[in-house]
Amino acid sequence: MIYIFDGAMGTMLHNAGLPTHTCPELWNIEQPAIITAVHKSYIDSGADIIETNTFGANRIKLTHYGLQDQVAQLNTAAVHAARAACGSATKVAGSVGPTGKLIAPLGDLKFDDAYEVFFEQISALHSAGVDMILIETIIDIQEMRAALLAAKAATDKPIICQMSFGADGRTVTGTDPETAAIILEAMGADIIGANCSLGPAQLLSIVQKLAAATKCPISIQPNAGMPKLINKQTVFPMSPEEIGTWAEKLVAAGARYIGGCCGTTPAHIKAIKNAVKDLGFPLLPSVQQLNKTTALTSRSKTIYLGAGCPTAIIGERINPTGRKQLAADIKAGQFMSVKKEALDQLKAGAHILDVNMGVPGINQADAMQYAIQELSMLVDAPLVIDTTDSAALEAGLKAYPGRALINSISAEPERLETFLPLAKKYGAAILCLPIAPGGVPTTALERLHITRQIIQAALSAGLRPQDFVLDALVLTAAADAQAGREVLSTLKLYREQLGYPTTMGLSNISFGLPRRDLINATFCAMALTSGLDAPILNPYDPLMQNTLAASAALLGTDPNGRAYSMNYAPNSQLQSSAADPAPRNIVQQIRQAVISGEKEAVIPLVQQALTDGMDSAVITEEGLTAAMNEVGTAFSSGRCFLPQVLLSAETMRAAFITIKQVLPAHTINSLGTVVLATVKGDIHDLGKNIVAALLENSGFTVIDLGKDVSTETIVEAAIANKANIVGLCALMTTTMTQIDYTITALKAAGSNSKTIVGGAVLTAEYAAEAGADAYAENGVEAVVIAKRLSLPR
Amino acid sequence: MPIYNPALKPLNMSEIKRYSGLDQYADFPPNLLDQACTESYLLAQPQATWQIYEYDVNTATIMGSQPLTLTAPKIINYLSGAVQVVVIALTIGQKLESKVNEYFISGEYTSGLLLDAAGTAAVEVAADQVCEFIKKQAAQQGYLALPRFSPGYGQWDITVQPLILNLANAHEINLTATDSCMLQPRKSITAVIGLTANQCDSNISYMYQDTTCPQCPQINCLARKD
Repeated sequence: MIYIFDGAMGTMLHNAGLPTHTCPELWNIEQPAIITAVHKSYIDSGADIIETNTFGANRIKLTHYGLQDQVAQLNTAAVHAARAACGSATKVAGSVGPTGKLIAPLGDLKFDDAYEVFFEQISALHSAGVDMILIETIIDIQEMRAALLAAKAATDKPIICQMSFGADGRTVTGTDPETAAIILEAMGADIIGANCSLGPAQLLSIVQKLAAATKCPISIQPNAGMPKLINKQTVFPMSPEEIGTWAEKLVAAGARYIGGCCGTTPAHIKAIKNAVKDLGFPLLPSVQQLNKTTALTSRSKTIYLGAGCPTAIIGERINPTGRKQLAADIKAGQFMSVKKEALDQLKAGAHILDVNMGVPGINQADAMQYAIQELSMLVDAPLVIDTTDSAALEAGLKAYPGRALINSISAEPERLETFLPLAKKYGAAILCLPIAPGGVPTTALERLHITRQIIQAALSAGLRPQDFVLDALVLTAAADAQAGREVLSTLKLYREQLGYPTTMGLSNISFGLPRRDLINATFCAMALTSGLDAPILNPYDPLMQNTLAASAALLGTDPNGRAYSMNYAPNSQLQSSAADPAPRNIVQQIRQAVISGEKEAVIPLVQQALTDGMDSAVITEEGLTAAMNEVGTAFSSGRCFLPQVLLSAETMRAAFITIKQVLPAHTINSLGTVVLATVKGDIHDLGKNIVAALLENSGFTVIDLGKDVSTETIVEAAIANKANIVGLCALMTTTMTQIDYTITALKAAGSNSKTIVGGAVLTAEYAAEAGADAYAENGVEAVVIAKRLSLPR
Repeated sequence: MPIYNPALKPLNMSEIKRYSGLDQYADFPPNLLDQACTESYLLAQPQATWQIYEYDVNTATIMGSQPLTLTAPKIINYLSGAVQVVVIALTIGQKLESKVNEYFISGEYTSGLLLDAAGTAAVEVAADQVCEFIKKQAAQQGYLALPRFSPGYGQWDITVQPLILNLANAHEINLTATDSCMLQPRKSITAVIGLTANQCDSNISYMYQDTTCPQCPQINCLARKD
């Protein structure tokens, strides 16, 4: 049977005279007869399910009207008004809309606060006797997760979860229908769907994607077409007849519940009812999510694991075990290295990231929550929560706006009792690790037996077949000659007898052996042929990467070796064709190193030159300064660019430091003193910093006063340091007049310093009018001008 | 309106090159650009907030509790078809800026320059994400959201920044302006988006021609597109 929802409530209430800026839910108490009449009109038009007038009846939304303390009354009155309209054949769905805020870290509403707000409203709806809960128009999957958790806790009634997708097929916070369906089905939604934002034409593909990703029935409530603004009023233009023609297509695409959202009226619902009432029950589209394929998701991406899916690499590097610096950073609350590991592993080819916060002496729950929050904002790869601490596990699962994998659940009773309910509650997949109270099983058959126990316990706890990933349990080959063979046998047994996706921590196999990379990569190739789907490994290992790429080509997951060919064809590994010219003398080599910006190369060259007895002045003049001059010329003629100039300056700096280290008594004659500042009121200092860097490495003594520097400070510094040059920088029209003041003040104070000015808004004309000695368009030009101005008169 | 902290989408490497003054085809170590990109992801903390106001076209006034009457011709022209105006404030915070300074102090000038450029790219990407969010929300009401327009562009004087920040409730994301109307933290933007009833406004294309690089008086800007 196709069930028919009602249509818009707000549209009907405004037509009934609801004043603008009045809380619609207030009419549940003040005008219940009108609310009942609206419901009745929809029932008369064929609605099987009516939705209570409680879309905004949560504490946060009601605060806008000062009604935050009437959540229970308004929701209860709404249910009564709905019940008054219907007989026993009509069901009442308690409508639960969004809070209007985004959940942290995407917004500023805490997950727990959102949960409490939803729990309060849904409890009221439940107590008042609704038949089901309809959570609708949600744009943030994390808000939906909070609402769904609250609904599961507050009621035993069926729960419908409807997201709002945009024209690009995603919610505005990036979640696609497939990902939403997988997350919500796993968390226990009874019906999954979409409403609002789009008309039926645009929602058709959304229905298809939802139906392909979940076995839950699909509900759909389109707007009456795409809205238009006419005379400052939002108008939904689709006629009842037209929406009726779409209803049949929506059913064919997989919808089992159809209603209307913004702009729909009883006439639209009647048209939908007429269109579908005689339809048979078409076969559901095939569900892509097979029983023995396990999907993991982030907020915006889904990865399937299992036979027939590409090998998924689980990066193991976010793990402080044996890594002192990472452990210290986590302990200190510094997660920069954790985030960097995430980015680097993905760049190296990982598809999924394992997250372990197992640092002794810290609150692992806090650390896990923070890490998961930060990583969920940084990467779109699904995450694995790797912990033995149930509090850390729950903190991580709660914070994650996706479907995580729990690493791991063994057959130990305590683990089963604490972890399985959390997996069920938060819709996570579980990594089944065949370890039992009796110890570590050494044979494949023992492992299979224990894994069966875990699966049985998980199914009893409410988990589903698509929630499992099986670990083959890798032991050390150096300690057990059969370790490798047993793992391969375990993988084969898993595939033949259970069929669920498989994983394992590869690198245990090579512990204690030399060339661990060779053992690991070889073992990985063997395991892939035995049925390994998602190895947990170090993605930085180049040999492993090569092996994975070759294996994908051989096993057909990289069809015809296309990706392999792209990466490994000889022409993709072309070395720089610009071979170095013949070796030159060492000064020329130093000069070339500076021009090329090769900081690491210049240091040994300078050391060698000094060891050979070369005069440091020769190195400086003929090697370093000549190079910078050449770079400056190349820049001025457009043959090289600012970052390259700065690389050369860095190389100069490294060379100068090296000379100083080798010859501590060495002094370089300064070309003059330059006082530099960004003027008062101006906080932009990048350009000034670049000028300082170039001047300093061209032989000037630079006194950098920083940014937002007062005229008085600049004058004082110029006189005290007998500056040859004062360089002034202003970036904005609001601050460039400070250039004038400062030059005037310098002259009034009797300073002999020459002034060079620059900055985005300045021009040569402005500089001249302000009385500056020169205007420099860029840092390189500033150096040229500074050299000219500092020449003895 | 809510606080929205967009999860940063991938940065455009060619934009980072442009902001740093590097020619697109220059022979330059890619690892330094990669490093700047990665650090930008690690250090940028995008935060945005915005408010929607009615707009009185006749008086060119954004109808906030403290109404703002516009006077610059190009912003007035841009909003000539607007029914409402969204006033946006966005920052990626202080961390990236501090790291740029650290780089210059330690003599790693190139990394400093490139990170600064990546920070600028991050602000732009985050702003695009916020505008996309607003655009989608506006579309649900039948509004068309115009591309954003910021103070400092199209001769809209930056002295308006304090008023814009106030309209956007920018204090919620700790974004302020100095006495000289510069945003703090520096890697931030304010902008307005006009919400119109339809797309057929000839003034819009005219306005955008006037705010592109060739028309900008800042001829020495590092990021200028020729």
